[in-house]
Amino acid sequence: MRLVPIPTSEYEEYRLNLMFDCYKWDPQFLDNNTVAKYALVITEEEHRQISSLTESLDRETRAAEQFLNNHQELVGPLKLTRQLRGDIGHMSNYNPDMHIRLTRYDFHPVLDVEGGWAISEVNSDVPGGFAEASLMPLAAIESINRAHISQIMEKEAYHIVSFGDVMLEAVKKKVKAGGRIMLVHCTCYSDDRQVMQFMGDRLKAEGYQVIYGAVEHVNFKDKKAYCVLDGNKGELDAIFRFTPLEWFKDIKPKRWQGYFDTETTSCNHPVAIYAQTKRFPFIWDVLEANGISMSTWRSLLPETIDVKSAAGREGYIYKPAYGRVGDGISIREALDIKEYEKIMKDVGRHPGRYVAQKKFASIPLKGEGGEEYHVCLGSYAIDGAHGGYYARVSSTPRIDSNAADIPVLIEGGGSYDR
Amino acid sequence: MTAKEVYKIWAPTGKKWVDWVRPVPFVGIGQYQKAYGIINQALPSIQFLNQTENDELNTILGINGWEKEYLEHTAIIVDMSGDQSVGYGVAMAGYGFRPIPVYNGTLEQQGARATVDNQSVGMALELMAKELQKISLADDARPAFLLDRNRLNRYKLEDSVYDNSWDVYPQDLPSPDYLLDSGIENILVIGGRKISRDVKKILVAHQKKGLKIFHTDGYEKPRMQLVWKMPSWD
Repeated sequence: MRLVPIPTSEYEEYRLNLMFDCYKWDPQFLDNNTVAKYALVITEEEHRQISSLTESLDRETRAAEQFLNNHQELVGPLKLTRQLRGDIGHMSNYNPDMHIRLTRYDFHPVLDVEGGWAISEVNSDVPGGFAEASLMPLAAIESINRAHISQIMEKEAYHIVSFGDVMLEAVKKKVKAGGRIMLVHCTCYSDDRQVMQFMGDRLKAEGYQVIYGAVEHVNFKDKKAYCVLDGNKGELDAIFRFTPLEWFKDIKPKRWQGYFDTETTSCNHPVAIYAQTKRFPFIWDVLEANGISMSTWRSLLPETIDVKSAAGREGYIYKPAYGRVGDGISIREALDIKEYEKIMKDVGRHPGRYVAQKKFASIPLKGEGGEEYHVCLGSYAIDGAHGGYYARVSSTPRIDSNAADIPVLIEGGGSYDR
Repeated sequence: MTAKEVYKIWAPTGKKWVDWVRPVPFVGIGQYQKAYGIINQALPSIQFLNQTENDELNTILGINGWEKEYLEHTAIIVDMSGDQSVGYGVAMAGYGFRPIPVYNGTLEQQGARATVDNQSVGMALELMAKELQKISLADDARPAFLLDRNRLNRYKLEDSVYDNSWDVYPQDLPSPDYLLDSGIENILVIGGRKISRDVKKILVAHQKKGLKIFHTDGYEKPRMQLVWKMPSWD
């Protein structure tokens, strides 16, 4: 794994292309440029290793959630919200063959774990980064090779796994040609729309009818989903959801329970909630006692315990049970003292909302000038098959909203060799 | 002009503050679903009560004791309705401020009624780009951040309406430290009878760091505001 610079002469044009051709509508976050000046290049061997681990993890995740869905009396240790505990009762008709299951596992290169990788979490419910995992690497390859040509240097061969291509194939298997697909997201957030717009344009180009809407724009009757959005009313053939389940209670759509028992193809179905909470490891003993192997998870996820058990023990960080994009995690050296104290105060007040996780030693990669970057390499699984990469880099070990998106390239030729 | 070309007029490479220009309304250029035109392309005159058209801006914006040097340490937030804020931003460019569009609203699903007309903002940016091109600005010109006050229209009569209202968040603007390091000591918000809730929430942090906050509705002389109280989000 190494960092390859986007040539300085190409960078501004590259960033502009990402905005206008690759759905990167949030290139700045506060004072930080969120487009890395590098590409992350992994070897073919690393690619094989990570994609294999991803598929193993996903096998375990899907087996776990199906078991838990059939044995909801055992989900107590997950401490789902009262609202969700009621809603999951509607999911007894869940059939994985009808739905598309999308997950993203966040890998980190580490020192202290056998195999050299740790995972920090699974983005089980609504993982994002679709365009960054599809178009951004192609734009990077173009920029790198264009500079090489102008400098009469030999072109380097890279290939990618395109998330968009893998997802499209998964959709085609489960949604009829020309079907109506609703892309459900928080319509007030352009950051959400950029993810949906990428997917929508890919689906539209394939002949699907695409509707952009919010959770309240879907109604359910006889377990079928219907669009109630102005000018777009009618039955839906699929729901592609990007609104997190735990936000539903705040949004309060009138008919949200329909999402839990719908027979309309969903990506993701709310069954994703079992693995979304960071308390997921607290139920592994129960799963294993019932014959569900969690061995890949156990080998890659640092020890995770409840907050009270971690009291007085060194080497643990605290993470919100429903945290997203790395925010709210208490990595002392990555935070200013005020933010760290604020998190720790909240942990003290609401220990049930956090988990304690053994801190791992992330190995930073070095940039051209010797600067260090910590890497979070997100690896997708789509219906069990590896579905590409979405990576972020940060100068601190905490990869959060201030991190920069970085395209992932695989060494050597392939179907996307340029 | 292509969408990229329009964007590059508003965010020319290498100039200060342009990293905060949001691409969202520019991306929609050329992909509009509704056909209508913006008839008024004239730049608004910036004039406050009891001032004459010939006054210098520092006089126009002048509150007691404001000198030219004082204004040089001021960033502006234009928070007016839709295309009006775009025109006002270009007019501010005539006074040496670089307009920085931070509009972040998306276009609605085709066929649906929407809470906000974000398309008109994109069209105005496209039209006003020609005016902006005529103005020469210093590389480090002070910023005038442009917001659409209509972004806060989120009242929905029924579920079937598409809500494309939006808020501006702290991450959409430079941090207080960045502003202070850039020599900015004052922030003047122009538009509305009072500073909108989302802007106020951002400026609490700025004020805590020592930046002075001023507000004018666009007619009255600017007055210093205290925004210590943290308003809640919608």
